[in-house]
Amino acid sequence: MLKITDLHAEIDGKEILKGLSLQVNAGEVHAIMGPNGAGKSTLGYVLGGRPGYEVTSGSVEFDGQNLLEMEPHERAAAGLFLGFQYPVEIPGVSNVQFLREALNAQRKGRDEKPLSGAEFLKLARAQADALSMDQDMLKRPVNVGFSGGEKKRNEMVQMGIVDPKLAILDETDSGLDIDALRIVGEGINRIMRKSDKTVILITHYERLLSYVAPDFVHVLSAGRIIRSGGPELAAELEREGYAGVVA
Amino acid sequence: MNLLAVPTRRDETWHYSNLEAVASVWPVQTEVIDVPAGTSIARVIVQDAATDTVAIRDYRVILREGATATFHVLNTGGSFGRVAIDVTCHSGAHFELGGAMLGTGEQTLEIVTTLNHIEPNATSNQVVRTALGGRATGSYLGKVAVARHAQKTDASQSVKAMLLSRTATANAKPELEIYADDVKCAHGATVGELDANALFYLASRGIAPAQAKVMLLGAFIGSVFDGIDDPAERARVEAAAQAALERLL
Amino acid sequence: MMATKNAQAYEAVNKTYEWGFHSDIEQDFAPKGLSEDTVRFISAKKGEPQWMLDWRLKAFRLWQTLESPDWAKLNLEPIDYQDAFYYAEPKPKPKLGSLDEVDPEILRVYEKLGIPIAEQKMLAGVEELGEDGQPKRRVAVDAVFDSVSVATTFRKELEAAGVIFRSISEAIKEYPELVRKWLGRVVPMTDNYFATLNAAVFSDGTFVYIPEGVRCPMELSTYFRINAENTGQFERTLIVADKGSYVSYLEGCTAPMRDENQLHAAVVELVALDDAEIKYSTVQNWYPGDENGKGGIYNFVTKRALCQGKNSKVSWTQVETGSAITWKYPSCVLNGENSVGEFYSVAVTNNRQQADTGTKMIHNGKGSRSTIVSKGISAGRSDNTYRGLVRVAPGAEGVRNFTQCDSLLLGDQCGAHTVPYIEVRNPSAQIEHEATTSKISDDQMFYAMQRGLDSESAVALIVNGFAKEVLQQLPMEFAVEAQKLLGISLEGSVG
Repeated sequence: MLKITDLHAEIDGKEILKGLSLQVNAGEVHAIMGPNGAGKSTLGYVLGGRPGYEVTSGSVEFDGQNLLEMEPHERAAAGLFLGFQYPVEIPGVSNVQFLREALNAQRKGRDEKPLSGAEFLKLARAQADALSMDQDMLKRPVNVGFSGGEKKRNEMVQMGIVDPKLAILDETDSGLDIDALRIVGEGINRIMRKSDKTVILITHYERLLSYVAPDFVHVLSAGRIIRSGGPELAAELEREGYAGVVA
Repeated sequence: MNLLAVPTRRDETWHYSNLEAVASVWPVQTEVIDVPAGTSIARVIVQDAATDTVAIRDYRVILREGATATFHVLNTGGSFGRVAIDVTCHSGAHFELGGAMLGTGEQTLEIVTTLNHIEPNATSNQVVRTALGGRATGSYLGKVAVARHAQKTDASQSVKAMLLSRTATANAKPELEIYADDVKCAHGATVGELDANALFYLASRGIAPAQAKVMLLGAFIGSVFDGIDDPAERARVEAAAQAALERLL
Repeated sequence: MMATKNAQAYEAVNKTYEWGFHSDIEQDFAPKGLSEDTVRFISAKKGEPQWMLDWRLKAFRLWQTLESPDWAKLNLEPIDYQDAFYYAEPKPKPKLGSLDEVDPEILRVYEKLGIPIAEQKMLAGVEELGEDGQPKRRVAVDAVFDSVSVATTFRKELEAAGVIFRSISEAIKEYPELVRKWLGRVVPMTDNYFATLNAAVFSDGTFVYIPEGVRCPMELSTYFRINAENTGQFERTLIVADKGSYVSYLEGCTAPMRDENQLHAAVVELVALDDAEIKYSTVQNWYPGDENGKGGIYNFVTKRALCQGKNSKVSWTQVETGSAITWKYPSCVLNGENSVGEFYSVAVTNNRQQADTGTKMIHNGKGSRSTIVSKGISAGRSDNTYRGLVRVAPGAEGVRNFTQCDSLLLGDQCGAHTVPYIEVRNPSAQIEHEATTSKISDDQMFYAMQRGLDSESAVALIVNGFAKEVLQQLPMEFAVEAQKLLGISLEGSVG
């Protein structure tokens, strides 16, 4: 599904990713863990195509396509979803309007016919319900006035609506209380735990992983994957801290 | 020395002026204050000229890279009292204004500022509070001009005026002229009267109406002079403001 | 349904600017240039009564003594008033009661403009029923083609309600007393340079009278279109809402591509008597000139409402996306006790466009209230200025005003300016004014694009969100097309 080879990337001339390689296949859940400043969020942004993040060498192949040559919206249409650590506020634009336009733009990019207003609302309501999000929040402007936890839950509703192939979820667990964490975790499993889909969880802590069991765990440090293993690696990190593992 | 012709109503910064009074003292002196890079100055201006005089204070301030100027202005004297400050901000400079206008009788008072943000990263903050009684007119004209490429400019203006009589006039013109996109420029302006609920509340605690008004106005003028570093200077300005307030009521 | 069709039509019209189009209908031109003879020609052409000619001549003589105002933040070459035509009318047809009688060439242009898609059936008298079996909401159209109204629909139904909806030329002849009573009352001929010019040479426009207690049974609409080369267009609109009446009026315009600048100096006068309400909505997307500022309409408009009666209300909503130059301040003189004035504005400038627009709220009446919401969007190398005045007279107790002026800059080559004047002479007034300046953040762009929108769609979406408070004031007919217009107007401004 996604093959990252020797990826180097920099921001403002400062190299953050220094030869990162990673391969993920359909049907897998990968967790990328690592200390602050290791380059975890940068990896998400580079894969999403955020302007300002310059890839200096290496390659990323997504479903056989060269991901790095695609515009951010083309990556979205191709099925890549980036869950933001800090979801952005867009005043005056309702969630419903935003998502319907986004979804239909993606569908258009895939030569699928657009959803009607009624079809879309049905879908959006179902996803909001599944994530115990108040229906009213669909009508509110995107992320404006949402609490940290509500924003994260909203990201999952969006993910449910656009139904991506690959979800890269950046610190989706931060800012969530224990109940919300469970709901979000269940949401990820429901939407993404399928044989044709892949999840990359970028996280600091093990706690989300007790709800979304990863098949693989990677430790990212100083811009490279320095260790990979099974779920037991997360437990080891939790026990010994990054210092022990990274050293 | 300002050698230009006597201003007319068509000159935007003299829009609300008493032009006869202006003509009587024209031309006016302009004090130029050139603040070297990385240094800071503070000025306290108390304009409390005798009520039958015309008082125009005209300043041109040039803030070199990283320089800071802090102006505190109490504009309360003269039949026509004007304090005008034209500021040019170079890269990373900061200008701070705390101003109060307290007028009564037939006074025409004005604070006129022009903030020229000509280079990036400069900031300015202006707070002006005005209280007017009698047949006084008080005007704030403040223009913030952000030149092209003066990115990261952060300029704010907060202007509040209160009218204490049915015959007073408050004018405000907080103006923005923006030619750069990555800036934070905002202004707020309000005109209103003393809060009747607050007056009643104070009265119910035994405070006489006049005293209550002075208290509330004192709070309204409030923090304008807080930033004066020298305690003696600050006490002097606050005393002058208090005296002016009592004259107003 | 109609809204959607109109939106498509507008879209088509805007796309058409890429190639430009103009119809060739035989014109009856006034001689080129401006003189007393021109004024007499226009008046005679319209068969006006003597009082109207006298009024025009008085205005013309005054105009010759005036100077063009220079206080707006506009950079333009002096206009050569002698190098323009002041009157052009389509080849006259004896009577234009039905669609069949309208010049097919005109209909073809309307079709390009999208008018007939929505209106053809109405013109033909076909009434579409909604799902509830009731007639759908309808819009009556008084189309101003160049300078002369050629078709007015729904006249009968309006007449049954007592509503007068006429071209102003007709009204001058049919309702001289009513016109004479109010013409120039709100915008006197002495008001300003362009209003005086309009008084002298106004070609046509619309007259609306809503009698006491009548709620106008449909939205009234005029489509403007500038069609003749080098022809200035001088509309004059007068709407009088008598006691307790209500009317919603829609104004939308477009013009074909031109090299020469075209002058437009309209005057709109609104009068609201006791308890009357007028809602006046404008979508203005005249040709803005090309990306180098060549061509485009010069739009100098004087719009003012007199809220004369107690509890009267006038609400201006405008979406200004077109014209090379916009000089326009729809205002309210709030004389009536507890009268209400509103101004909701979105102004978009792109490329070399210049807009200097805003409002005046003149509070003379006790308890009068006003709301101003202005959203300026600048892109390209354009300049966009909000200029406004809030004035409270000494005798006006309990006045309230709230003003919000927000500017959005797209790119670092444009300008966004805010020039508010606040003049308060009554202590009981509560006046609040706020202004902000912002840009579309990189975060917002990336977020929207990560969800699948391309950069232009993302900009359009974010801009629509920025302007939402204003757009939601528009009648349904306009809201959808206005939203599309914002996106279309900003095409090419990013990326």
